[in-house]
Amino acid sequence: MVDQIPNLGREIEMLSELGLSSMDDLFRNIPVEVRRDTPLPLPPPQSEEQILEDAKRLLGTNVDLDSRPSFISAGLARNFVPTMVPMLATRGEFLTSYTPYQPEVSQGMLQAMWEFQTMVSELVGLPISNVSMYDASTSAAEAITCAVRVKSKKASQPNSVYVSELVPPHRFSVIHNYTQGVGIDLHTLPHNDDGTLDITAASIADGSCAVYVEQPNALGILDDGLISLREAIGDSTALIVGVDAVSLGMVEPPGSWGADIVVGEGQPFGIGPTAGGPIYGLFACTKEFLRLMPGRIVGQSVDSEGQTAYTLTLSTREQHIRRHRATSNICSNETLIALMGAMHMALLGPEGLEKMAHRVHSATCATIDSVSSIPGVEMVNPNAHFFREFAVRVPGPAYEALESMDSQGVLGGLDLGIWWEDMSDCLLIGCDERTSESDILALRNALQLWIKEVT
Amino acid sequence: MMDTIFDFNGAPNSGWSQPTAIKSKPRPIPESIRRKNLPDWPRASEPELVRHYTKLSQKTFGIDTGFYPLGSCTMKHNPRVNERIVQMPGIDRIHPLQKDSQVQGLLSIYYEMQEMLAICSGMDAVTLQPVAGAQGEFTAIRCIQEYHRSRGDVKRDKVIVPDSAHGTNPASASMCGYQIIEIPSAEDGRLDIEALKAAVGPDTAAMMITNPSTLGLFETNIAEASRIVHESGGQMYYDGANFNAIIGKTDPGRMGFDAVHYNLHKTFSQPHGGGGPGSGPIGVKDHLSEFLPTPVASRRELQEKDPDGVGDGFWYYWQEVGENSIGKVQQWNGNAGAVVRAWAFYRRYGRELERMSEFAVLNSNYLRNRIMNPDPETSSNINCMPSEGAEADLVMHEFTLSMSPVKDLNGVTGKDLAKRLLDYGYMSPTLYFPQIVPECLMIEPTETESKEVLDRFASDFHSVLSEDPEIVTSAPHTTPVKRVDEVWAARKLILRHPGKKSED
Repeated sequence: MVDQIPNLGREIEMLSELGLSSMDDLFRNIPVEVRRDTPLPLPPPQSEEQILEDAKRLLGTNVDLDSRPSFISAGLARNFVPTMVPMLATRGEFLTSYTPYQPEVSQGMLQAMWEFQTMVSELVGLPISNVSMYDASTSAAEAITCAVRVKSKKASQPNSVYVSELVPPHRFSVIHNYTQGVGIDLHTLPHNDDGTLDITAASIADGSCAVYVEQPNALGILDDGLISLREAIGDSTALIVGVDAVSLGMVEPPGSWGADIVVGEGQPFGIGPTAGGPIYGLFACTKEFLRLMPGRIVGQSVDSEGQTAYTLTLSTREQHIRRHRATSNICSNETLIALMGAMHMALLGPEGLEKMAHRVHSATCATIDSVSSIPGVEMVNPNAHFFREFAVRVPGPAYEALESMDSQGVLGGLDLGIWWEDMSDCLLIGCDERTSESDILALRNALQLWIKEVT
Repeated sequence: MMDTIFDFNGAPNSGWSQPTAIKSKPRPIPESIRRKNLPDWPRASEPELVRHYTKLSQKTFGIDTGFYPLGSCTMKHNPRVNERIVQMPGIDRIHPLQKDSQVQGLLSIYYEMQEMLAICSGMDAVTLQPVAGAQGEFTAIRCIQEYHRSRGDVKRDKVIVPDSAHGTNPASASMCGYQIIEIPSAEDGRLDIEALKAAVGPDTAAMMITNPSTLGLFETNIAEASRIVHESGGQMYYDGANFNAIIGKTDPGRMGFDAVHYNLHKTFSQPHGGGGPGSGPIGVKDHLSEFLPTPVASRRELQEKDPDGVGDGFWYYWQEVGENSIGKVQQWNGNAGAVVRAWAFYRRYGRELERMSEFAVLNSNYLRNRIMNPDPETSSNINCMPSEGAEADLVMHEFTLSMSPVKDLNGVTGKDLAKRLLDYGYMSPTLYFPQIVPECLMIEPTETESKEVLDRFASDFHSVLSEDPEIVTSAPHTTPVKRVDEVWAARKLILRHPGKKSED
């Protein structure tokens, strides 16, 4: 029996007030030619108890990351989310509110988002942040279309954008989709053999609308050469940098080495990997991009009595006002997840962030030492610097290594062959703040055992 | 009293604690890229932050707080068990790149949702990857774009939308590089077939339309509109924002549509969370399915060596869509958490999903009738009644009113009335949309409101119309802050806290 409808069983009374006698009368304006006259071929309704039982059973068949040593990262983190975060964020007022179009009764969420904007701005070193995009990939894609809107008039390569070839292909695919229809030409920027960006070659982007690079890149490399990128591409080209948000507890924020727009995955702050969503994209920029940027923005204001208040602002950029001339079609974003992110960031504080970054980095260093000393395993980029992830070459197909480790109860990382065919013998191994010594030992043992079997 | 979170300023390292880092031989990050100054974040402890966010939640109005008749947003109750389910490790602690054998349960839920949405919409294939309604629109238009391109039909550069369309429709088409042809509505607020005939041509890529329209009216000539667009070689796109009105009664497939998006955060109760997350799956007819984003959930019968993951005799897997796929629109597989919540919601109705639409439409007509036909005594106290946004015997799940007569008489605008309703403990209806109705209020009660709530709202609505206009135009009076000056905000652009450093 359906149980979410308070008026169920009272319909006759209500219909009679309308001079109607049946529910079908309500739908009489639907022409017969398009009417559905058979019931939906679906199973019968379930009670909460039954649904919960099915959910437990179905979701219980999934192998969760906490059930075994796990080294899959590739842009998401097996983080620890403080208990306060989901408990407070799912308070009904936050959970069940809509976009705060009526600021007088939305001050709480608006203030929380204004505080979020501030924390993101501080984190990445740029003055302006919106209240989130869908994820890192759509942040990157819309940063590029935003940069083209701002820069194309004066650019000598008016429709061109240069993207590092070491951006994960699934993220690049999103960028491709968002730039396809509007005629943006995507070019790639090459890398040196050691996995760092070829800065000399990057000067080809001078005069284009934008350059997009990631720090760390898809192979986990922290590239200290990127701080010279601004000089290489000139002042008129927008520099967009994708970051690992947690790394900014140790690594210089791109805002201080010339980035105009910083994007990234917010997920490590606030929510588990959640099978890929809902998560949230960070989007921060300089003033130059403010009026053509995507997404909701909260501004401080005053009420009619002069008290401080908050409200959505610069809405004239947005689709509900500007329609086809809007800077983006974005309407729903990921506010609730950004709220969770803000709570997590606030709990960490500056020193907590630094510590979290240090924990990730230490785990990565320890994992590199442990794994790279296995005979037969080679670091793909032995002289590079890493934060969360690193790539190793193994003596055989990476997917076989993963299968073997999996059968030993270890999630050993990502087969880089699914991204780049010529790396099908490489694993991308990712750590997080929770990676333990015993996790690392399990990884080492599992990988070692497979190598013994294949060699 | 704490003004903002940045007023918390405890001693360093006295807040929320973490385990120490594991020991490792240091591989130091080069000095040139080491962070010099930590971000100016607050230093706060859990007890302080719990209180901070509790206070902020108390200054936020949700469905849980009260009636939320925000038209076009389908603000229905969000069942709590759904929140419990998404906290389970089998969804919260899952990585999207885990192999199929480790996510059989999740894949089966994806598959079930794809099937259910296809059935309800009359489409052939569904992807759950788009993470918001607007992204669903964008994805579908990209698929249509690639469909035309694949046929060498490259001259189609225009997308037609009615002037009553949601703003996301033209914005999404425009992001795909299309020019927008906006056609005016007919006098009764419905689609103007003659205007459509004049607009279509060999350059038409698609028409985007929602049905029922944003005026809450069913587009009775929708099948003819589909024929006209198809005859010109264009594709029909259904904006599913108003899907809550029609489930089980008709479907976009029967109306002749080729593609549709669904708002799981409207129709299927994913909580809106102050603006998101959403989820905007799309469904398409066969001829568009090869262009869908990749991958989609699929299944086959169990073969001998397969473990039986979920016990239904099927093996579930991510299937790549193929070389004509547009690729990805979100880098993973969409908002899985929203999909799981929507699945739990759908299971509550099953084959009786149409009850949802029946009671949504009943509540809407009931409320409209209550508001527009006050009893004689109430009527005698009302200064002036709003007019109908569109003349109609019946509406669907929502309806519009125009405050123009009231504004003309005593200066009370739609916005004033909306602000006054906040004082009565309601969220305001959607304001000034659709733009074709002057001083528009758009009201959508949803099926999860009781008759008593609707009666009370109508009665309070009449009270506002009976009040001294001065009280209404200066509203709200009882909210945490008084009317907020949006112009001030746009002029000053204070978009972040100035920071402790700048105050030194």
